[in-house]
Amino acid sequence: MEVDVSFVLNGRPVTVRAPPAKSLLRVLREDLGITSVKPGCEAGECGACTVLLDGKAVTSCMVMISQVEGHEVVTVESLSKEGRLDPIQEKFIEEGALQCGYCTPGFIVSAKALLNENPSPSDDEVLEAISGNICRCGAYPRIVSAIKRAAGGEKG
Amino acid sequence: MTQETYELYRYLNRSIPRLDSEQKVRGELKYLTDVYPEGMLHGYVLRSTVAHARILEISTEEAERAPGIRAVLTYKDIPGINGYGAIVPEIPVLAYERVRYYGEPLALIAADSMEQAKAAAEMIKVRLEPLPAVLDVDEAMAEKVKIHDKGNVARHTVVKRGDVSKAEAQAHLVLERTYRTPMQKHMFIEPEGGYAYVDGSGVVHVLAGGQSPYRDKLQISRVLGISPEMIRVKNYPTGGAFGGKDDATVQIHLALLAYRTRKPVRLAWTREESGIAGYHRTASKITIRTAVDREGRLLSNSAKIVLDSGAYQSFGPTILDVSIETINGPYRVPSYLIDAYLVYTNNGIASAFRGFGAPESNFAIESMMNELAAELGIDPVEIRLRNILRTGEEGPFGNVIRNSAGLEEALNRARSSGIWRRANGSGWIKEGVGVAVAIKGVGFGTLPDYPSAAVEVIPEGKVRVMFTNPDYGQGVITGIAQLAAERLQIPVSEIEVINADTMHSPDTGSSSASRTTLTAGSAVVQAIDEALSKLRVEAASSFGASSSEVQYSGGRFMYRDRSVTIYELARRLRQKGRSLRFEATFEVPRYPEPVEGTLEVPHMMYMYGVALVRAGVDALLGKVNVKEVEFYADIGNVINPSIASGQVEGGVVQGLGYATIEEYRYSDDGRPLNINFTTYVVPTARDSPEMYVEFVKSYDELGPYGAKGVGEIGIIPVGAALAEAVYRATGKRIRDLPITPWKLV
Repeated sequence: MEVDVSFVLNGRPVTVRAPPAKSLLRVLREDLGITSVKPGCEAGECGACTVLLDGKAVTSCMVMISQVEGHEVVTVESLSKEGRLDPIQEKFIEEGALQCGYCTPGFIVSAKALLNENPSPSDDEVLEAISGNICRCGAYPRIVSAIKRAAGGEKG
Repeated sequence: MTQETYELYRYLNRSIPRLDSEQKVRGELKYLTDVYPEGMLHGYVLRSTVAHARILEISTEEAERAPGIRAVLTYKDIPGINGYGAIVPEIPVLAYERVRYYGEPLALIAADSMEQAKAAAEMIKVRLEPLPAVLDVDEAMAEKVKIHDKGNVARHTVVKRGDVSKAEAQAHLVLERTYRTPMQKHMFIEPEGGYAYVDGSGVVHVLAGGQSPYRDKLQISRVLGISPEMIRVKNYPTGGAFGGKDDATVQIHLALLAYRTRKPVRLAWTREESGIAGYHRTASKITIRTAVDREGRLLSNSAKIVLDSGAYQSFGPTILDVSIETINGPYRVPSYLIDAYLVYTNNGIASAFRGFGAPESNFAIESMMNELAAELGIDPVEIRLRNILRTGEEGPFGNVIRNSAGLEEALNRARSSGIWRRANGSGWIKEGVGVAVAIKGVGFGTLPDYPSAAVEVIPEGKVRVMFTNPDYGQGVITGIAQLAAERLQIPVSEIEVINADTMHSPDTGSSSASRTTLTAGSAVVQAIDEALSKLRVEAASSFGASSSEVQYSGGRFMYRDRSVTIYELARRLRQKGRSLRFEATFEVPRYPEPVEGTLEVPHMMYMYGVALVRAGVDALLGKVNVKEVEFYADIGNVINPSIASGQVEGGVVQGLGYATIEEYRYSDDGRPLNINFTTYVVPTARDSPEMYVEFVKSYDELGPYGAKGVGEIGIIPVGAALAEAVYRATGKRIRDLPITPWKLV
């Protein structure tokens, strides 16, 4: 059985036809061509598929497409405006806060959710916000400082 | 010595961002598992759910007739050789006669949908006669159950020098200890995967995460029974690898399915499939006996090294070599006796993992050095300074130490670090600082290695640089572009890199053994020299001058008041129908013969590192909390300090995972137990300590612009340094990694 699901993706209304239990991750990748969301585990553990669902960071592998009806989904693709990078993206580049880059969109989206709610987070709040994201290349210290700097809390 | 000064360089020693970082932060970089080709089939692998068995039957008739099924392949359908493996092609592409590990591939399916593929897999009739699973190396060596007809020891070798018994008889102190390290999973965030298709001229294209496109190509050609020229492999981009994608993963299966169906096929392992069927680091059991004099000077070293190869040899034989080379550390060891075994078990397949046998042996020798220092009442840095080989001395494997000043400098900096004074726990929290030294050869030691690279001058204003060592996050695209820019004296923005694609680049070899800077860097520099020498003649001809009178600077040839850019020259060459592409092959410097009993020992170029780890231990809970890590390293001239430091930082984090929480385990019947991030826990941001990385000033004239390598050095000494920190905090010596709470309470 397939159902029609309508939601707002990166500011634009979309309708997809898919099995109701298909994950948002798979719909984004396989049906809508959004591949910044990565299937690192498809079990909600690695955070590589993180999106904003109504402004909150969620792992899209754990969301069924039928749950998205009428909601708003944001992926990293929409963070840059008219080609201009979001400050989080800029700081990730400047800090060298990525290596293979596969986990990077997920981290950036988690950081975006944090900074939307809390524009000047403490170190601990940053660590909490990215606690569901794994970077096996181990760029963590740089990721934390990139997020801190994007928040405007630049130290020196 | 031609020690160059750092200030001379325009594009080296500069922390420019990775050239692909903007694409990465935008989420625009298409990894090879992000591609869903038009009209593609879904590839699926049917795997054994028994660790060790005789295969009685695999029948596919019913599955082949199932809806949407385009191909069902077993070992009978392999056109060429049913074997692969980086060193010895003994790993069945599809199992026949025997199954030797849980997850071994039995059949391949290509279907219109994944649901159809899985349904068909259920219809394949598999009859297996279970055999006892051998999971322990000692049990395997007893050979009650043979995993292979030839026996359970895949490789045994003895490497020796001097008279160990005599040295021990004269020693002030002889210590014998047994150290163990666990299997470690790579857990890259992109599981193994990619896609393949056959083009109109019959060329099989395989685009998948990997580390060695030309070796993939060779292995595919043997299995398909077609010429390597009919195969193209691309491995960039890859979402993490760390050695786990060095030998073939999905590549051969993809090629078989695309070749058979003539349709595009996508095959991407799930996390659990990666957990079951992906490679892991060799577990080690090392008994080491070391003799010293009163001052802590090493007199002899004996070691029995046993590495668990799993069901087959992948890189096992050469991993064993690196563990042999590492067991003497960077030390003056007059006599040694190394008895080394690579042993088959039914534990999956062990393969390359960052450090490649070095972290395993390093844990033994560096823990031993710390134990000796404690027994003798000598400072742990001091005992190392007394034993490290100095420049010009003969090393343990007959090699001449070309330059170890960087190691001495790193040790001196470690000694004067403030970290020693910051260890002050309180109450139940005890703190300690531990040190360990790492040495790692760059490249393949005495094995012949002739990496080739190409450059092409594009008249529109770019120089294209082509090499095959894949960039799976190390930043080699950026580092090699910086080297090219330096050689050409043009901005990095004019360099365009095509990475890891056999369609464009000659064979530069793999990304492994920290070799990319040395191999791709040197070959690219030589290819640029080749280009400049040809273009110089062209410039001279246009000036009506002799080429020796023509000057080159900043992308431009000059003669008196006239000048012409390399791009204008390229345009003229193109008009004349001449090639704009220039290639070169670098001959990696090496000793002509390996030391007796080894395959590739020693190396000519070594990286060095000194790790200082400060850790707190909760005496009630046994929980280890790593507070800070300082790392002093000699990696030669540093092309990109930020990227190089990131490599060390990432290696340290992986090393801390290895030392504290990571351990890949099997059930008693050989079923892997922790195959995803829920059960195989890796470090997160909260586990990442304060880190300080410093590179000592160094220049190795064998490397491009004095550079050596960096990728592996960070992970190697972390385990021993942490174990020492824990000992200093608690008085407990942990000799088997990981250092889990239940070992401390």
